Amino acid sequence: MSVYAVNHLCRELLRDHAFRAAMKADPAKALEGKNLTPQERDALLAGDVATLYRMGVNSFLMGYLCRFEVCGLTLPAYNERIRSAAPHGN
Amino acid sequence: MAEIVGAFGVPHTPVFPFFVKRDGPDSEIAQFFKAVTDELVALKPDLIVMFDTDHLNTFFLDNLPVFAVGVTDTFKGPNDEPREVPVYDIKSLPDFGAHIRRTAIDAGFDVALVQEFTVDHSVAVPLHFMTPQMQVPVIPIFINGHVPPLPKAQRCFELGRAVKRAIETWPKSMRVVTMGSGSFSLDVWGPRIAPGRSDGVPDPDWASRVCELLEQMQVPALISEATESQMLKAGNVGGELLNWIAMLGTIGERKPEFVKPQMANGHAYAAWRRG
Repeated sequence: MSVYAVNHLCRELLRDHAFRAAMKADPAKALEGKNLTPQERDALLAGDVATLYRMGVNSFLMGYLCRFEVCGLTLPAYNERIRSAAPHGN
Repeated sequence: MAEIVGAFGVPHTPVFPFFVKRDGPDSEIAQFFKAVTDELVALKPDLIVMFDTDHLNTFFLDNLPVFAVGVTDTFKGPNDEPREVPVYDIKSLPDFGAHIRRTAIDAGFDVALVQEFTVDHSVAVPLHFMTPQMQVPVIPIFINGHVPPLPKAQRCFELGRAVKRAIETWPKSMRVVTMGSGSFSLDVWGPRIAPGRSDGVPDPDWASRVCELLEQMQVPALISEATESQMLKAGNVGGELLNWIAMLGTIGERKPEFVKPQMANGHAYAAWRRG
């Protein structure tokens, strides 16, 4: 059920501009109180989108992490990491 | 009686409005959208019925219908901030939407009702190009083409046939066009994006095959080949083909006026006229 919370907070980055600003300023603080497992929290804070993908997080929603450049994600970093999760190479 | 005077298949790539603003009216994207827009204008529609897949912006994983119809007098969109697209107020026809839903349910499709909603780029981008004054009312019919399990292609085609019956049994004289929104092969923010990009076309052969089948109107072959595994192999939005297949259910067997592939993006622009 908790992957749901990751999906949900990714969409909140789009919807809730205050949360977006908080995630850009201090992601660890912004994620306090969210219903996340330690593994999910660590993967989010590391911008480890390959691990999040393997956990079942939706790709479009995860894309908001990159679009709004939170948790250290830029397009080159996101691109390299998510492509490493491809089941049959790319 | 209302009548279906034409049908369209179009992509909805959210960055296209930005590209057209940057690259001008002679750019490839602008020209493709001009071709479908010229057809649409010539048909003088009173209503657009659009088959669409929402990207978890109208709906979410807390409550995700397989099929839903918008029943409202107006809705706003886009709700997901695509560049260079204003938030439009889009008119709709709630009585007609309710009639479509009733007809679909009578035909065995348990279509969800949605009355207070916004739409994302998948509805707004085609309208931004094709009806920028938002003068034509729009009834959105949502098909889950993104979050497996996907509905079967045959089901979506038959839903289109039910929508055709609904339109043809509407008692007022109206000119209706149907539209399918989406791509054939595209991965967005997923593992099969192209190097350096936020998207990619994992299965260009499939996109070509879909175009070939559309041009020849080999709809039964398209339906049998459009399995869930094939569509997902073509990318995480490959199920948007289901919107095109539902649209095909509304138009009979007439061949398209044109199918214009844009293979670098894994999609096409197509138009049909009443037979």
